[in-house]
Amino acid sequence: MDSVISAKGFTKKYSKFTLDVPELDIPKGFATALIGANGAGKTTLIDALCGIIHATSGEVTYFNKYKDIDSTELREKIGYCASSGFFPQAWKAKDIAISMELAYDSFDRKKFEELCGQLEVDTEHTKKARAMYKQSDGNRMRTALAAVFARETELMVLDEPGSSLDPLMRDRLCDRMREYLDDGEGEKSIIFSTHNIADMENAADYAVFMDAGKIIEQGFVEDLKEKYVIARGESAGYDEVKGLLLSHNCNRTVFDGLALSENQEKLSEMGAACERPTLQQLSIGLLKYAEEIR
Amino acid sequence: MKILQNSDVPIYKQIASQFKEDIMSGKISEGEYLPSIRGLARDLKISVITTMKAYEQLSEEGLISPVQGKGYMVNAQDREMVKEQHLRLLEQHLQNAMDSAKLAGVSREELLKMINVLYDTN
Repeated sequence: MDSVISAKGFTKKYSKFTLDVPELDIPKGFATALIGANGAGKTTLIDALCGIIHATSGEVTYFNKYKDIDSTELREKIGYCASSGFFPQAWKAKDIAISMELAYDSFDRKKFEELCGQLEVDTEHTKKARAMYKQSDGNRMRTALAAVFARETELMVLDEPGSSLDPLMRDRLCDRMREYLDDGEGEKSIIFSTHNIADMENAADYAVFMDAGKIIEQGFVEDLKEKYVIARGESAGYDEVKGLLLSHNCNRTVFDGLALSENQEKLSEMGAACERPTLQQLSIGLLKYAEEIR
Repeated sequence: MKILQNSDVPIYKQIASQFKEDIMSGKISEGEYLPSIRGLARDLKISVITTMKAYEQLSEEGLISPVQGKGYMVNAQDREMVKEQHLRLLEQHLQNAMDSAKLAGVSREELLKMINVLYDTN
């Protein structure tokens, strides 16, 4: 499978935090979710890959071709949207439209207007349009998303796009993401980060799980759902199965935890019930496991 | 196409079995193309990889074949052979039903009656 981004020996060192990614391949034509707790390094990874901050070391190849993130040609292809404060706070929709038009050849002012309408925020023709600082986080994010989707790109990199949106808007965002992939016919890709995957479960094809600056697991969601199971049982049987569980959760009455599917038969023999995890359950299990072995 | 998000049956299997039904019944005929993977994902509001997996399963079962740059095309179906497979499956299920009936002490007449009732209620 083709990669849209492939990184090797990629690191970013801060005094108290190190992002360490020995190898990362993000598949082309799909939506990839970066999943991790607050402070796991999702934003650092996104910003370093997009050239917003400089990586300490490592080599990254974009679209199987480009190596230099500062090349104008490459920048035109990537749509980046930060989790907040993307535009100066005093700006209104019109200022955003003007600046985006100056910055990017492919920015389509009409499309921006359309998208603002769809996402129900001020357009540049709205009477008494409000400045960014006068609007809610959700509205600011919607405006930023409209601006980035109004460009002709081949890769969308969205940092926590859904976090500040209400459920209805998040659903609309997921629709927009699928539309983007469909229009690209396999040539367009999306990377987005989230710490709450439940609402965007059906928008993720590939998942990269992060903890403390490291990637702890990655793969196609359907494959990962087959690789792991959730085991449950009564706490009386907990001691017996404990060793087979990756994440552990036990109270007075019941236990549950993530386990490898290859151990499913053994777990069943020990009396545990196994079920296929949702992406949300998988995320919790894996992040908990990472925390336990950290 | 009807997809249940919270079913025990994985979504990709639901998609595969519905296409299978349509192909078997001739609703989608030989040489026709299935919707594009990303287009179907968009319409069903599910991830691309889920539809892809459904198509891969259908492809493994020989019902459809990938065509470079055009998507997935429905193959010519050997209906007789498929029917034979279904008959074998049916026999097996009936055998299971008979075994359970025996364990539960259900007589032959009662079992036949149950089938009739089920037919009527379906």
